[in-house]
Amino acid sequence: MDSQIKQIHQQLMNKDISCVKLVQERLDLLKANTNNTVNSLLDTIALQLAAKVDTKIANGETIGILEGIPFGIKDVYMLQGTYTTASSNLLKYYKSAYTATAIQKLLDVGAIPIVKENCDSFGHGSSSENTIFGAVKNAINPDLVGGGSSGGSAVNVAKDYTVFSIGGDTGGSVRQPAGYNHVYGLKPTYGRISRYGLMAYASSTDCVGPIAKSVEDIRLVLNVMSGKDVKDQTTYASAEISESSISNSRDIKTIGYFKNFIESEAIDPDIKADFLASIEKIKAKGIKVKELDFFKSDILVSTYYTLAMAETASNLSRLDGSNYGNRIEDKNLKESYAITRSENFSEETKRRIVGGNQVLSQGFSDEIYLKGLALRDSISENFKKDFEEVDIILSPVTPATPPKIGESLKDPLAMYLSDAYTVGFSLGQLPTLTIPQGTETGLQITAAKNNDELVLKFANFLKDTI
Amino acid sequence: MSKIMTVDVLSSIKGAQPSEAVNKLFDVIKNAQSTNNTSFNNNHNNGVSLDDLRDDVVFESSALEKQIIIKNFPKEKNGYLVVSKIIEE
Repeated sequence: MDSQIKQIHQQLMNKDISCVKLVQERLDLLKANTNNTVNSLLDTIALQLAAKVDTKIANGETIGILEGIPFGIKDVYMLQGTYTTASSNLLKYYKSAYTATAIQKLLDVGAIPIVKENCDSFGHGSSSENTIFGAVKNAINPDLVGGGSSGGSAVNVAKDYTVFSIGGDTGGSVRQPAGYNHVYGLKPTYGRISRYGLMAYASSTDCVGPIAKSVEDIRLVLNVMSGKDVKDQTTYASAEISESSISNSRDIKTIGYFKNFIESEAIDPDIKADFLASIEKIKAKGIKVKELDFFKSDILVSTYYTLAMAETASNLSRLDGSNYGNRIEDKNLKESYAITRSENFSEETKRRIVGGNQVLSQGFSDEIYLKGLALRDSISENFKKDFEEVDIILSPVTPATPPKIGESLKDPLAMYLSDAYTVGFSLGQLPTLTIPQGTETGLQITAAKNNDELVLKFANFLKDTI
Repeated sequence: MSKIMTVDVLSSIKGAQPSEAVNKLFDVIKNAQSTNNTSFNNNHNNGVSLDDLRDDVVFESSALEKQIIIKNFPKEKNGYLVVSKIIEE
């Protein structure tokens, strides 16, 4: 099966390339890159780890499949002793005191972190322009946005600066940049991978997600990071997904798609035509395709943002400059909090915090926040019924192609609405994979909760089908 | 507590105002119909089951972790965190 990780593993084992050389080459590429993907390079630690891998190989020891593989980390994950800025002024000089579980698991199998990657500040954005490190430029056309919020991660993978990267997906932040840069990006089932050490945006939909250039690499990385973690009580135990279990898709008989996504006025005509052409190719393989009814896009987006803003207002209330962060002193504690937050949060982050506090306040919570929760339950119920009828739901990733750099910041509402096709699956906590096929910004493959295996299986099938 | 707190105070952000773009999202929610209309008493099943709660364990931080936490203090004196004067109101 096509796999960049396996290919590099073989080169290391055959001594075609040393691990130090491999890591140094990638660091050089990252350093020279003009796409603004780097917040900080982890050169010292990366080269030390690479030297250890070379010693092992020289001693004739076998190395694990991920051992020596250079990877990137969205700058919202804790990695002990490294800068973890969330692309924000507030945490510009903050260093992680501990390491996130998902990242620790990758370190434990010998993968080598080489870069902390640019993203929208605290995950607040869909373009990776809301950052103090400069807008991330798209891998295919640098005049366009890299997508977000995990834009730096997707661009690094697309450009082969990292072999894989770990993004974070709350409402589409792995899947959309993966689509914009023509790579694979998985949002696993909520709770499959521990969130411990991932800076919280909206805790009820935050997911750790791998970005890579093949389904097989997504599988390898997913297996390592998955599992129950005592430090995140929403995690659950999951079985390892084997290579053979996703190699044929005979048990996928019926798929569905949301009619209203495709009939929407907002969809780009080419994306619509390409999506429908993909559906025809799938039908030609003998798979039954059903049109499904779903909530209107504006309801999905509004429900998602209402809940996400409420959660982020609460999660980010800890950032007041008292224990860490860029504190600005004022006449007393309360004034210090206010000036620190006013000066250090971006406009978009402030907009979301204020929105969250609005919906959580007396008089608003019933008609907005509680209603949002009720709508979320209805959305989940809808998915439950759908997956009694179909094995997989197929969807475009975005209604349109990536905007030019600068456009999204002018119109926040348009940016929120551009998440129309990704947020519903987040609210449902479902496993969804972006594949770089089918439309200009890819396709999303979604299965029922805890069925991440089926998603990868169908992705393999589509590789040869469309 | 009859005091009305404005969003700038609630958010600890000076001069913060509700945004038009966000208010438009909220208007959609206000006017939306959820399929089960009695849903205010329904199951927001996103929490962890009581049977599944872990034991209350204390994790001792490593010396390095403690050292980094102190290094992150915005203002430090003799290894202690210095904060502004706490107001009483």
